[in-house]
Order: sequence, then structure tokens, then C-alpha cells
Amino acid sequence: MFVCDHTAPSHSMGGSDAYRIRPNHQDKFKPAIVKECIGEIVREHLSGVQYEQEKVKEMSNSLADHIKDKVKTLGFDRYKFVVQVVIGEQRGQGVKISSRCLWDADTDSYAEDVFMNDSLFCLVAVFGSYYY
Amino acid sequence: MEEFQNGNESSFNPEEADSIVKECIESLVGKEDYSQNQVNKWTSSIVERCITQLVKLGKPFKYIVTCAVMQKTGAGLHTANSCYWDTAMDGSCTVRWESRTMYCVVSVFAVSIS
Repeated sequence: MFVCDHTAPSHSMGGSDAYRIRPNHQDKFKPAIVKECIGEIVREHLSGVQYEQEKVKEMSNSLADHIKDKVKTLGFDRYKFVVQVVIGEQRGQGVKISSRCLWDADTDSYAEDVFMNDSLFCLVAVFGSYYY
Repeated sequence: MEEFQNGNESSFNPEEADSIVKECIESLVGKEDYSQNQVNKWTSSIVERCITQLVKLGKPFKYIVTCAVMQKTGAGLHTANSCYWDTAMDGSCTVRWESRTMYCVVSVFAVSIS
């Protein structure tokens, strides 16, 4: 998908946009859109599902792959994605998850969502990093 | 891990990251018991310290470090990652650590910028 950049001449070598070092404002990673997308997929996969030792491993892997594939279709060109899914059983324990990123705050961002039901909780974080 | 490259200076080295992360965890929560009041501080310090040490390697990478600390109550926890990146240059490393009262899982993702 090519976006016409009105502030710079769009004729370039063979149609490639390798000269770009910043995404257009419209092409930047948009956390709100990704968050909504994550939320939909997680609710679809995990509503009414109970935590089961044997199934969770495969469920978390497939959820991560599904989300990655969906985020690829959202049209953030030149972005690399990291999707992290954490699924845990609800037994009244305390959990704390935090993250830090060393990146270009202008171009890179992340989106997260948490889903909980009676027997499990699921946290999804998607990090988007621009490739110059 | 399949993405381990030998002899290529500019690709991610998971073993180096692994030892950095282990050292950070040991020094910050090595002797502690799980405590609701402190857990906030621990996770922040672990990720910050990991990032500072990774930056000292001086490689052309952007880093994403996540840390999960969970109390041991017999409950299960699974983490999964899926990444869309350049498999030759980029890589990740996950360290699982446990003590008598808690689990700590730290993941480092390194994304190349060249």
C-alpha cells in the first residue's frame, strides 16, 4: 500500500520508499486501533474458556500468531512487530508485569489489552518498531 | 534458539543477553520473598537495569524488555511471543527464574536498526 506524501516529491527510484526515514503521520503505529483489534481477537478466542493445563500452551501460541497476522493487515508499513501473550490461571495470586523499551519514541509505540474471566487472565502486548 | 548466529557481529546474541538478565534478576530479587508492596518497584528496577546493561553493549538495536513477577500459589502461567521482523538480524531471549515464593519471567526483544 503506497501513500502519497504531499510534502515531498513522490517520484523515486523504481517506486521504492527506501529514502523514507520517518513514517507519515497517517502511517504511524496507532495504539488505539491495535488495542481494539487485540481485544476483539482475544474475546473471540477466550470467552467462556476455562484454564486447562494441556491446552493453554497451544492456545497462547495460536493467539499470538493470530494477533500478529491481523496486525500485519492493518497497514503499518515498514513496521516490525513483537506480540507477547501471557495467559495465567486465576487463583488469587498477585502478578505484576512491566516493560521498558529503548526506541525512537516518535515512531515506535505499543498497544496492550487485558482479558479476564473466572478461571484465567490474558494479557496481550503488541510493540511496533519502525524500520528506517 | 534457531536465531543464534555465530561470527556475525551485528546480529543479536541471545547468550549475552541471557547472562545480563540473570545477573540483573539475581541482584535485585535474588534474596527477596514475594511482597505486594515491593513488586512494583522490583519489576521497574529489573527492566530498567536490563535495558541499561543492554545499551552498554553498544549495538545498533532497539530493545523491548518485559518482566512478569508472579507469586507462587500453584497457579499456571504461560507466555507466548510472535514476531514479525528480520530473522537474520533480530532476536529475542527469555529467562525464567524462580525462588521459593515467586516466579520471574523476563523477555528481551532486540530489533535491528541497520
